Formats: sequence, C-alpha cells, structure tokens
Amino acid sequence: MDYDVLVVGGGTAGMESALTLGDMGYSVALVEKEPTIGGKMILLSKVFPTLDCASCIATPKMASTFHHPQVTTLTYTTIGGIAKTPRGTFEAKLERKATYVDFDKCTGCQKCELACTVAIPDQFNFGMVARRAAYIPFAQAVPKKAVLERYGTSPCTQACPAGIKAHGYVSLIRSGLHDEAMKLILEAVPFVGTLGRTCYAPCERACTRNELEGSVPIRTLKRYAADRYYQLHPQPEYGPPEDRHNERVAVVGAGPAGLTAAYHLARLGYPVTVFEAQEKPGGMLRLIPPFRLPTEVLERDIANVTALGVEIRTGQAVDDPSRLARQGFDAVFVATGTWKDSIPAIDGVDLEGVMGAVQFLTQVAAGNPPNVRGKTVLVAGGGRYGIALDCARTASRLGATRVVVQFRRSREELSSVEWAIEDALEEGVTIQFLRAPAKLVGVDGQLVRVESAEIRVGGRDVTGRVLPGSVGPGTESMEVDRMILAVGQDVGSAGGTSGLHTTPSHTIVIDPRTMETAIPGVFAGGDVVSGPSSVVEAIGLGSRAARCIDRFLRGQPRIRDDVDADLIAVEKSRTLTRQDHYTTLPRASRDLRPAAQRRTDFDEVELGVEEAAARQSAARCIDCGGCCECHQCISACPADAIDFGMRDQEQILEVGSVVVSTGFDLFDPVGKVQMGYGRFPNVITAMQMDRLLSPTRPYNTVLRPSDGKIPDNIAYILCTGSRDFQSDNQLCSRVCCMYTIKQAQLVMGALPLADVTIYFIDVRAFGKGFEEFYEQSKAMGVNFVKGKVAKVEQGDDGNLILQYEDISGEGKVVRTEHDLVILSVGLLPNREALSLFSGGALAPDAHHYVKETDEDLSPGQTSIEGVYVAGSASAAMDIPDTILHSGAAAALSAAYVERVKR
Amino acid sequence: MSTRKIGVYICYCGGNISDYVNCESVRDAIAGEEEVKVAKTTMFACSDAAQQEMIDDIQQQGLDALVVASCSPTLHLFTFRGVAERAGLNPYLYIQVNLREQCSWAHTDVPDQATEKAINLVKAGIAKARLTEPLIKTRIETVPRALVIGAGISGLRAALALSDLGLSVFVAEKSDKVGGWVAEFGRMYPHDRRGQDLIADLVREAGLRENVHIYTHAELREKSGSVGDFTVRLDVKGEPVTLSVGSIITTTGFVPYEPASGEYSYGTDGVLTLTEFKRLLDGSEGGLTYRGRPVDTVTYIYCVGSRGSSQKDTPNMYCSRYCCNAAMHASSLAHELSPAVHQFHLFRDIRTYGKYELLYQDARQKGAVFIRFDGEDPPQVEKSNGRFRIQVKDMLMAGEELDIETDLVVLATGMEPRPNQALNDVLKVPVGLDGFFKEIHPKLRPVETVIDGVFIAGTAQAPRNSAESVASSLAAVAKTAALLKKGYVELEPLIAVVDPETCTWCGECVGSCPYSAIEKISFGDKEIAEVNTSLCKGCGACVPACPQGALGVKGYTDGQIRAMIDAMMIDMVEASRG
Repeated sequence: MDYDVLVVGGGTAGMESALTLGDMGYSVALVEKEPTIGGKMILLSKVFPTLDCASCIATPKMASTFHHPQVTTLTYTTIGGIAKTPRGTFEAKLERKATYVDFDKCTGCQKCELACTVAIPDQFNFGMVARRAAYIPFAQAVPKKAVLERYGTSPCTQACPAGIKAHGYVSLIRSGLHDEAMKLILEAVPFVGTLGRTCYAPCERACTRNELEGSVPIRTLKRYAADRYYQLHPQPEYGPPEDRHNERVAVVGAGPAGLTAAYHLARLGYPVTVFEAQEKPGGMLRLIPPFRLPTEVLERDIANVTALGVEIRTGQAVDDPSRLARQGFDAVFVATGTWKDSIPAIDGVDLEGVMGAVQFLTQVAAGNPPNVRGKTVLVAGGGRYGIALDCARTASRLGATRVVVQFRRSREELSSVEWAIEDALEEGVTIQFLRAPAKLVGVDGQLVRVESAEIRVGGRDVTGRVLPGSVGPGTESMEVDRMILAVGQDVGSAGGTSGLHTTPSHTIVIDPRTMETAIPGVFAGGDVVSGPSSVVEAIGLGSRAARCIDRFLRGQPRIRDDVDADLIAVEKSRTLTRQDHYTTLPRASRDLRPAAQRRTDFDEVELGVEEAAARQSAARCIDCGGCCECHQCISACPADAIDFGMRDQEQILEVGSVVVSTGFDLFDPVGKVQMGYGRFPNVITAMQMDRLLSPTRPYNTVLRPSDGKIPDNIAYILCTGSRDFQSDNQLCSRVCCMYTIKQAQLVMGALPLADVTIYFIDVRAFGKGFEEFYEQSKAMGVNFVKGKVAKVEQGDDGNLILQYEDISGEGKVVRTEHDLVILSVGLLPNREALSLFSGGALAPDAHHYVKETDEDLSPGQTSIEGVYVAGSASAAMDIPDTILHSGAAAALSAAYVERVKR
Repeated sequence: MSTRKIGVYICYCGGNISDYVNCESVRDAIAGEEEVKVAKTTMFACSDAAQQEMIDDIQQQGLDALVVASCSPTLHLFTFRGVAERAGLNPYLYIQVNLREQCSWAHTDVPDQATEKAINLVKAGIAKARLTEPLIKTRIETVPRALVIGAGISGLRAALALSDLGLSVFVAEKSDKVGGWVAEFGRMYPHDRRGQDLIADLVREAGLRENVHIYTHAELREKSGSVGDFTVRLDVKGEPVTLSVGSIITTTGFVPYEPASGEYSYGTDGVLTLTEFKRLLDGSEGGLTYRGRPVDTVTYIYCVGSRGSSQKDTPNMYCSRYCCNAAMHASSLAHELSPAVHQFHLFRDIRTYGKYELLYQDARQKGAVFIRFDGEDPPQVEKSNGRFRIQVKDMLMAGEELDIETDLVVLATGMEPRPNQALNDVLKVPVGLDGFFKEIHPKLRPVETVIDGVFIAGTAQAPRNSAESVASSLAAVAKTAALLKKGYVELEPLIAVVDPETCTWCGECVGSCPYSAIEKISFGDKEIAEVNTSLCKGCGACVPACPQGALGVKGYTDGQIRAMIDAMMIDMVEASRG
C-alpha cells in the first residue's frame, strides 16, 4: 500500500480529514485539482458567526496540512478513476497535470506572472478581474508555486509546419512587445519577412476566430513584426555564438530548408558552410517575384543566417555530397530542392513557345525574361503552391496582352492560394478552374493553339484527400502564343544526389526518424526528399534536420524528433463556449495597392500595417491554448524553473481507504433570468461580494460593477437557487442565511452609510451562536424583509428595482429600488464526485450528492465499504458541520484501514 | 547571554493591520534595534511562502530568536513555533507580538498613534526575545484507554469507534440504563429508522467487544493527572472504581426545555411538549388519540424556550436547531396515524435547513397549515369547552387575526444543557453563555476543550439531532485517537519553576494552585515547594502568592516582563521629560 488513506479534495473537509488521519498516524495522500489547497473557505472574507478572518483561520490549516509529516499533498492533480481491489484496498489512478514549472526551483516570486502576456478571467475572484496564464492563485496559496495554465496547443501554433509559436507572437504584439515578438519568431525561423509575405498561413485557417467573424491576420502580424524590426535593425543585432563546437557541418543548397538548417546549427555553435550552385543564395525563394517578395526582404532574412557566421559559397554545385564528409565535414545536409520542371506527356510540349515555370521564373529573376509583350500567354497550373499565378502575374507585368491560367482543380481546392487568385483576378488575369491542356498545336514548330479539356471534380478518399479528377467531354480550343507549364517540379538527374540512394523520381531516401541517408553523417531534407512543397514546410524540415544533426553530432539517442511533441490542439468548441458573450470584431482586410497601378511594375502589391492596426488585430486573439508560449516567463524566471517540456503524468496509488471531500458547486444564477444576473451589471452573487469584502479584495473596496460607485443601498435576495423547484433544487442550502447576515454586518462596517436590506423566506439561524449573530445584525440596523423577490429590473442609472409581495406589511406587491443587488446563491452537489469510482460504484442520493448509507450511526459511510464522504460532498453544510463530518469520516476511514491492515 | 541575532517580521495581515498601522514605519523604527539582524514586512506572515522565507533567513543568517508581529497568539503561536522548529530553532525562542487585536483593530480611528503603539509593542517583543532561552517539552506516555461519560447514542457510538481503533473504552452512564433519549424513540427523521433499534444495535455490538466496558449508575467523582494519563475515580453503584485513561469524551446530552407553568397554558391537560407528543405518537397505533379520545386538531407552537421566547427569568437566546425538523416529522407521523387530523403550525421562521427542507415539504403536502407569528406578539392559548382556543396574528396574511380551536397544543420545545454541576466541577470544562460546554473554537475545533485531553460531543456541546450528534462523537473519537495512538504527548514547558535557594516552604503557593500541581519536598536540610511538571499549566497563579518571590514561570520571567516594560516605556518616559 502506498498510503493508508487517499483524500480527494483539499478544501476544508479534505484538509481536516487529512490532518486528523495524519495526527492518528496514518499516511495520507491528499489530492487537489486546483494549484492550491484551501477550497472555497480561503476565498471568503470572514466566517460566521465568529467573524474570524477566513484567511487567518484557513491559512494555518493549509500550511499545517502541507507540512504534516504524514500527509503528502498533490495539487493540480485529478482522479482518473478509483477501483476496489480484491484485498479490500483501492487502486487510484492519479492524473498529475503538468505545471510547466519545476516546483523544486520555483520560489513563488511571481515574476512569471508579471511577464505573462495572456489574461484569463480569475476563477478565484469569480471572474471579476483577470489573472495571467502563468499564475499563483492568490497570496496565501499553498503551495505558493506558479503554474502555467495550458489547455493544449493553440490551433494556430499547432498548424505551423515550421514550429513558429504563432499564438505567442500574436500575444506579444498585442502587448506591445514587438521586439520580443520578432525574437520569438526568430527562435523558429530566419525567414520572417519572407513568411510574413508568402506563407499560405495554415495558422489562419486553423484560427478559432474563423468560426466567429474571421481569423486573426496572423501572417500580416508576422510581417508587421519583421518590417518593424528590420527597419530598426538593418542588420542583425547578433554575431556568431561564443560557445562553438568543433564539429563542422556542410549544407548543400541555400534554399529555405538548407539555410534554415544552417541557421539553427550555427545558433547551436556549429561552424556551417553552405554550398550553393546558383549565383545567389535563397534557392526557390529567389524565383518568387518581387511584387510578392521584395528582394531586399529576402536578403535581410538571409542576413539572419549569415550574421551567425554561416559561410555561403555560391556558384559551387556539389555533385557528390558524401565527398564533403571525407573533406572534414562531420555532417552533411543535402537540401538541393526540385529545380526541374515536370513536363506532362501531352502532344506538343516540345513546341517552340512552351516552357516550364521554373525555367520562366529563373530567366525573369536573372534579368533576362522571355519576350511575352503583346502575346497571349497560357499558364497550366498544377496547384497548391501558386507558382502558376506567379508566372501569370509576371507575364502580365511583362506586357502580355492576355494571360490565362488553367487549373486542374476547383477554386475551393485551391484555398491555399486564394489571396493570390484574388490578386491575379484583380490584375486582369483570366483563371479557368477545372481545365487542363490536352493538346498543344503548333505551326512550323511554333505554338499557336492549345486544346484543353474539362476536368471533373475528383471525389475524396476516406481520409478526405481529393482524388485526381477525370477528363470530361468539354474541350475548348484557344489561340496561344506562349505556354508556361507550372504543373510540377522534380529533382531531376542533374546532380547533387550521386552516391545517395534515390527513388525512381530521383528524391533522396532517408530514415524518416533521423533524416539520415544510407551514408552515415549525410542527411537530406526539404523538397529533394519530399518533392515540391511550400516554403514554410521546407523551412520546417530544415529546422528538423538541424535537430537531427545536432543529436547525431552530440551522440544523443536518435529518437524521433520532438519539435512536434506539442500538446494536442485545443478543441475549438471549448474555446467558443468560453467566448459566448464576447463582442464581435471583424477581421481587418488586406491592404493592397490599386490593381491598375501594380500591373505596371514589380513593386510589392500588399502593404504592411502600422502598430495601432497590428495591435488591434492581435487583440482579437482569444487565447485558445491559455498559455500562448510567448516564453516571456522563461526569460523572467530568476530560478530557471519554467519547463515547457513537462507533460501530464499518470500515477497509480494503492491506498487502504478513500475519503471523498470534493465539496460543492455554487448555483449559477444566469439561468434564473428574472433575477437579472448576467444582464444587469449591478446584480452580483454573494460569492463575488465575499471577494469584494475579503482582505485580498480585487478593488480594495466595495464597488458596484457598472460605474465603480460605492453602493449605499444594498439588497440581498435569499434562497436564489435554493428551496426552488424552478431551479431544480428543492433543498435548503443551509449556509446562505448566515453568510448573508455575515456580509450585512461586514458591509455595515465597510460602508457605514449604506443601508442593507435582506429579503428572506425564513431566516435560518440554526447553529451554535447563529441566532445571537442574527439578533446582533438586527441590532446593527440590517433591515429584514419577509418576501420572495419575484423580479429584478434595471433603471436608467444602473439601479435595480425589486418587485416582491410585502407579506408582513400590507400584503401588497411592492417595488423598491436598490443600487446593488446581491443574490445569495445556493449550494449544489459537485457531481464530479460521482464519477471518481469506476463503473459509477459510488451511489448518489436523490439530489446527486454522495449518498450516506447509514447517516444515523455512521455518518460519512458511502455505498462502498472503505470509502467515506466528508463535508459538503454529501450535503450542503457550513464549516463547523463540515469539520465534525470530516472528523467522523476520518474516524470511520481509520477503522477501515485497521481492518484492511489486519 | 551573548549577542543575539533576532529576526523580526511585521505582518500586514492583508490589510487587517496595514490599513491602520504603517507597517513600513514600524519596520524602519525597529530595524536599527540592537541585535536585530533581519527586519521585514510581509503581506501574510502565516502564508507558506512567508514561512519559508523565515526559515531561509533563520538558516542563512543564523538567527537565534524570532519575532512575528501579527495577530493574536491564539491564532498563530503554534504556526510560528512550527516555523522555528522546521528551521532548526528551539520553538520557545519565538515571540509573538499581537498587532492586530491589540493595536490595529483597537485603534482604527487614529492610525498615527496606532503606528506609534505598534512600534512600542514590537520593541517590547524584541526585548523579550533577547531573554528567551531554549525550553524542552515534557513528554508523557499516553494510556491507550478512554473514558466516555454518558451512554446516549453519542457515547455508545464513540465507544464502538474507539474500540474499532484498538483503544479500550470505559463508558460511565449516570442512570440505570443506556441509550439516552434515542432509546425511547420510535421512528426518527430523516431515514425513518427506530431509535430503539439503533440503540439496540449499538448495545449488542458493544457487548461483543472485549475492550468496551459500560458502567451504569456511574458518576465521575475525581480526575487527576493530565492529558494522556488521567486517573479517574468513578462512583459505580456506590462503589469506587479507579481507572487510568488517556482521554475523556463527554457526551452527557441535553434535557428538553421545561416550559414555565402557564407558558402557553402548559400544565393544562392537552398542552404537551414536543417530547411528550413524540412519546404519544410512538405509543399510538391505528389513529391518533389522546386520553382515549380521537384528536381532530393539533396545533404546534414553535420556538418555545428558544430564541428568547420563555416566561422564565433568563430565556434561552439560542435556536435549538432540531425542533423545526422534529415538529415537521411529528406532524407527518400524526397524519399517518390519522389522515383526517387538522394540523396548524404556528412558527416564527421554519428552519428545516439543508435536506430537512423535505420534511417541511412533506408536512405541507400532508395538509398541515403554517401560520407565521411575530415573536413580539406570540399566540394566546386558552382552554375553552374542553378544547383550546388559540388567537394568533398571521404574518403571512398581513397580520390577519385567526382563532384556532384545537384539541392538542404541542409546544416545540428546545434543548437545554443537562444540569450537572458536580461533573462540571470535576471536568473543569468551561460552558458558554448558552450553558452548553464550550469548545476551543466553534468553527475549527468544535470537540476540543481548553482542558487538554477532555473532549465534548453530541448535544452536550450544542443542540443537534441524533445523526449530527453521532457525527460529532465520531469527530471526538478521531481527535482522541490522534492523541492516544501516537503513544505519547508533549506538554508545554512554560510552567512554574521554584528557586530552591529562595523558597522557605510557607505553603502559600499550594493554596493558590488550581491544578494541585505543587508538592512539598525535602531539599538538603530544608523543605521546599516543587512543581509537578505534568500537572502545572503555567497559569502563574502561584507566582504572586509567594512572599519570597521564589516562583517564576518559564517563558514569562520577571526579567522578561521588566525588559518589555522598559522597552515599551522608554520613549514615552523620555518624551515626557521633554
């Protein structure tokens, strides 16, 4: 047995049970789902009828529980299931939620909290103020350790193939931390400016805000971060790292994959040499027309790499990469890309006037464009990467009279290039979807006409992937002078792969786990392995290769790369539920130069945004993941305690007995529409009022929410959600009368001029000292009115009008005005208790509390022998009764442990 | 003593102190005091983080005395002694200064002067801390046996639970039979089990336990010794029985309020207390009859003897908690016996708290009529034509005056503590204003008393129903087990000490000691007083009684008190000199 007793729930009942059992000499594991023990009592202002400060009497209980030598407190832990063993003991599955903070190092200094950029409604202040995603619940928390609240990975971050913390930089920009945003992106990629312009932005498609009024413009924000930073810093602020490794790495190919790998390896301290066949580094990025990616932006992105001391040797093609390994390089990364146009096997492709897209764009980039002036140009597009549109828009700018693009796919299937389609259409390009060239007809070897066929939409396979369409009957003929084939690219046999094992399509074969080729120390990645891909995917593979090579050079286990060991993405429904009452804020549209103007030059089409617009857009982020991974806490923590690598862990415990002390839920008055809660700001719950009155109060005084005015005529409405069939709770909640009287007394102390009226059915001051406490409040001047309030309405000034039957007076329906209304909400069972045990073995009573099977003689005994319920998990009860009930549960639990041990 | 290294921590108490006392000024004022090595303010000194900070300071700075200026020692003396202990410091090198109850709360209207006073209080604390010395607790082996006084349902259930935990139990019952009130009851709320059956189950089970001994006709006569090791003398059927026990659980129960003669016509045939009516119900079959006549109407009057309602000189101000529920249940039982019976409930507030609300619903569904009266204007009961006529103003109908004719008047009488001065004199457990035994803390320590090792449970502590009484008796069992299962207890070393050189044995101190802790011994060639360390409570009553000044209390030495006064007064004295 690991522990004699497992206590589930660290509120008043759980602490009392654990302490009592610990004092008796039994070993106890106390499990609490929140980051602190203390339950609801620690959140209260004072407690009735003694008016003890709740902090003052709960804090020592918390501390002595936590420090008790016999009690092990496990916070931030939930129960996955408990089952009884044949021995009579219990096996409990604990789910220890990752805190992302090393508790051994954390000193509770709260610097992470100050640095955190995500605000979340503070559940410990019942939503009246916000807290951070990195947080310590409150000043008296035990243990006083920070946790990072992560619901999962935000969908945008999860969607990024390059591992950029999209949520993180959006949050930083929202917070005005623009340099930090840029640096966070630079953690993942050097090509910030490039991606900010050309990325197809899978992040935005994943954005939960799409389900509302359009995604956060994440790509634009990235561009904003880069543009701003590059303007301030024409050259990188850093140089080569100081700590260098001895092992040298060669990278073949200075495209996005190769340079990204070089970048990360250089940051890790490896001397890196890049060999590039072309005259300039950048690879395929050089082929992106400047109206989409200005050359100086690309150059600046590449400077991010070279500033680290990476040497790029251009004009040096490497035919046999393994030779580099023999030349003193300890590792080689081959990322030579796909530079050969795929030419489809259709009639006439060898005619004069027909060329491949790579060939076309290469000539344009080299300043030697083919002559298309006055011509009709047809571009046959394959699809997803938009190269066809680049060709078409370039041809248009070069003076072609008519430019037509034919896509084999429907527009819907081409959503990744939707922006480029829009821009091209605006610029006068004709686009035909679901059409492909079938035959190229020439005269004297010169292309004159293209016959094209209609493509039927292909179906989808079981995974949802679109199947290739079939050729339909509709053919069409078009006079064409120039034809550009942008239907695909491949590696070609030109070189760079000799000595390596390749597929029939010439891509290099690697071990997918390590990215290593058959030759030890030689790695390959990017398009030369995967075939043509997007820029961001190539960059992602470059990052991965760097990690693989590092592990190889450091002699570390060659496990599967863990960049994608992110938490699973947050369910959108979860975020949307939370967002119910948020106002809408439509997405800002892209800012483009006028089409007429941009058709005549190669200047950039899309304009950037200013700070105000960027921050406003970023502020639309709804923090799906909780923590945004902006990593500010990492830099802020003086103890180096933040650890994003932590994961939830499961722990199995065998225990002799179980005490269920899971407490109660508060009635949510939103459903009781006539009381106005959630509609009228000045209607609050008593729990919120208790926070306003507590020593750790959020506003440092009692203010009403609508206008921050100090209230002077306060009403309490008792039995809200209790003794009420309409709210499906016919029980009395047992504590509301007394906490209301307590609050009334506290209000009279805090606001001596305020009038307090309590509307009641019966005043249930039944416990020891309660009646005297009630009488004392009457003597203080609290006004008690017998009458059940039927309706609350709001006046013009935020005041509230209560309607009730004045039973004790003249018996008429009366309307009275108050400036703050507090709903004395009732207690409900915490139904989580009933699912703790496998197979629903823990029986509920008729009201969904944990059933006590022998309340007369063994209060706390449940339907499972060896399992005892303590406190308000069994029925609404106040603190004194909870303490007694917990003592009883402890005594019974101890007796059971004695039997099991015997 | 050589130079001390004192750490001083001034607590904001989350505003309780800092709203009125400028804690930063206090810190600044004492930071330069001699031998003060660390002076800090903190939001909540009792918070775990602040405790850890103190521990770190003690260990890193090598502190040898600790002062926390916060709240009353009642709250946190043990908390901070624990801090000292965890830091490896003798806990008696800790001094608590009460800035909250004795300063900030008392002087909310004069913050400047409150700050000034706080500075002086802390200076006094520091002066006392300079003169602290390590003290060692006395350890006493505990006896694994308990005495339970009272064999009602609480006492019997406690006995079985103690036995379950391997502790031997003696139960002393004053009367000739066990079971208390519950043994008389038939069906009880809320689970409709019969009281007789519950008691029978407990008694049968107790008979099977070798380690449970029940004495009837037994009363506690004497108690000596201390927590963990008491010697008690019982009078059992006139014979003395001496037992050695580690703790005592007092479950002496209640008596029902006995109305004054004429209170709501009490004393007239047909006016019954709730207890009497319950007896009538339990004894009835096939219809509700009273003195052979069928009952047509029953009228209940609530809060008799509770909530200030009584014709006696000192009315009980408290609510008796159980009566509303019990009256509802009685009403439903009466309806079951005679479905045609009319029932009127004249109440002030219906306090069927929690799940007992269902009893109220049940009574209403069975046709009972509820009429709310004003406590200031109670119903008038008079006998007329063999029945009763009750006049009442119905506050649910805007004060409409009602006349009710009824056969029976049931007074929902509350609970009173069972009078037993002889027992109280032996136990020395204080009682509260309501006459029930007083717990250490009504919220957090409801079964413990200021007499260590003596616990209270059931209705001896407060009015409550049977199931609640059982819960509290089990809670007392848990506390008893926590005390006795460890095998030993440690006693406070803050006790009286005799200077054998000065003492001349005059015997004055013996008379002043309420715990009989002082004995005469031989010391060399003379006789002197000696303090029994396990009996002395450190109350200090003997100190002023000694004409020789030979007695002192550890932790509160004359030297310390003088130093505190000096430290507190020096500024004032100097100021008055101008």
